[in-house]
Amino acid sequence: MPRAGWLGLLVVALAVAPLALPPFFLQLLTEIAIVGLFATAFNLLMGFGGMVSFGHAAYFALGAYAPALLVKRAGLPMLLALPAAPLAAAAGALLFGFFIVRLSHTYFAMLSLAFAQIVFTVIFKWKALTGGDDGLLDVWPPAALKSPAAYYYFTLAVVGLSLLALRLIVDSPFGYALRSVRENPRRARFIGIDVRRHQLVAFVISGAFSGVAGGLFAFYNGSVFPDFAYFTKSFEPLVVALLGGVQSFYGPLAGAFGFKILEWLVSRQWPVYWPLFLGSIVIVVIVVLPYGFVGLAGGRPWRTRPAAKA
Amino acid sequence: MADPSSRQGLILAILGLRKHFGGVQAVNGVDLSVEPGDLRAIIGPNGAGKTTLFNLISGDLRHDTGRIYFGGEEVSGLPPHRLCRRGLGRTFQITSIFRRLSALENVQTAFLSHHRRHYNILLPARRLYRDEALALLERVGLREQAGKPSGILAHGDQRRLELAIALAGAPRLLLLDEPTAGMAPRERHEIMALVARIAGDTGLTVVFTEHDMDVVFAVARRITVLHQGTVLAEGAPAEVRANGDVQRVYLGQPVTA
Repeated sequence: MPRAGWLGLLVVALAVAPLALPPFFLQLLTEIAIVGLFATAFNLLMGFGGMVSFGHAAYFALGAYAPALLVKRAGLPMLLALPAAPLAAAAGALLFGFFIVRLSHTYFAMLSLAFAQIVFTVIFKWKALTGGDDGLLDVWPPAALKSPAAYYYFTLAVVGLSLLALRLIVDSPFGYALRSVRENPRRARFIGIDVRRHQLVAFVISGAFSGVAGGLFAFYNGSVFPDFAYFTKSFEPLVVALLGGVQSFYGPLAGAFGFKILEWLVSRQWPVYWPLFLGSIVIVVIVVLPYGFVGLAGGRPWRTRPAAKA
Repeated sequence: MADPSSRQGLILAILGLRKHFGGVQAVNGVDLSVEPGDLRAIIGPNGAGKTTLFNLISGDLRHDTGRIYFGGEEVSGLPPHRLCRRGLGRTFQITSIFRRLSALENVQTAFLSHHRRHYNILLPARRLYRDEALALLERVGLREQAGKPSGILAHGDQRRLELAIALAGAPRLLLLDEPTAGMAPRERHEIMALVARIAGDTGLTVVFTEHDMDVVFAVARRITVLHQGTVLAEGAPAEVRANGDVQRVYLGQPVTA
């Protein structure tokens, strides 16, 4: 079957899912879509830009808190508040990214982590605004979107459009230039690319879509908490993208699906052992499947092995 | 020899350029002037400062003192991507390409950037400048390799690809740092003949370094000899060959000695 055929089948399956699945599974699929978007946005940096962020929870949290605050403190309805998610996250990504892209590799990762911890601390300590440790409760969508099926459709639509936008960006001249920066920053400079600025633009785009994921999650969850910005949350898109395959655009989506399904299967039997399982799976994938889950389907977009660098 | 301080009508003029690394004076007061259309070889023993000079001209390194004029304008301290926009292209001694991109994508990306489309996020890039990129790959003899990941190409083909990447930016001045490094003698002559042909066709000015004297004397119009960070001699190939200083420090003892 051609690729478009598979995609059509997937869309139909997702569209009719609410007819066949109980609410629990619709919620699981909603979470998968949100985590998938978060990890895909993250992978714009890691897979296509060669930048590993350890602090993407910051932009997820900004995207969750901005509309939640507008709903709670300004009384806005969800649909008016939600656009604040990508805007706040992009603003944060621009501010922090300005400093982060000046560094590379480990230092890039550590500075991104440091900024995320600052975001966490501000949310945690600024009780008057954010509610601190208690979070913000009763952040719900309007009645029409409140049922699991309705919010599932809403999430699919927003995530679908976001993924389409990210796909366009990856395939655009900007995306080509971003790959050239990943491959060889020095050479990229000598074809006229301002490497830092290119990285910063990618960082802001990635942050904005992480914010969309955060905003969707806020209203799915009905509440927001400081640990959205905590460093453990930052590792979620990293692990998900690694599991699915960072070399492929769809890898992080496959990773989100595998991650969430496994988490559900394992946690309902042995809730305590999920981290142990996850660790083992990550090790197996890294050693046996360098192209992630999508490698199982023969997806080898770069054709040469990553080890062939040097 | 044109006077670099006049810099009128010169594509490249360098005045009193110095650069040191710790206690080593790598470039020690270099004056250099290159006229448009020149095919200039810069030769000198290892450590003479050739690569450092290239890195200074191309903005990869900052010089300590001195001035660099490109096309009559001072460009001292400009970063590489700005120099590239002004028409300076270069290749590196160690091949520098985008290894996990196909040969075609390598050249396409260079075209996209040259035409300032690299911030465009709306168009699919796959078809943009495809024909131009394929034509350029044809020119350097890589048409058949266009779809392959550039990292698996043969060494010589990677050198050709890097040349194509640099040419995609339509430079006025092309710096080639040992373009034939690691190549077999026949291929060296081939690739330098190609460079000379392209330079002749387009009016491009080329400055290159090279260790193979056969190649240098076969293609260079003028030769500059660097020694211990300064210009030891400059002139047409015959003058340089006959220069006693050059023979002493570099080409070996004169036959009649």
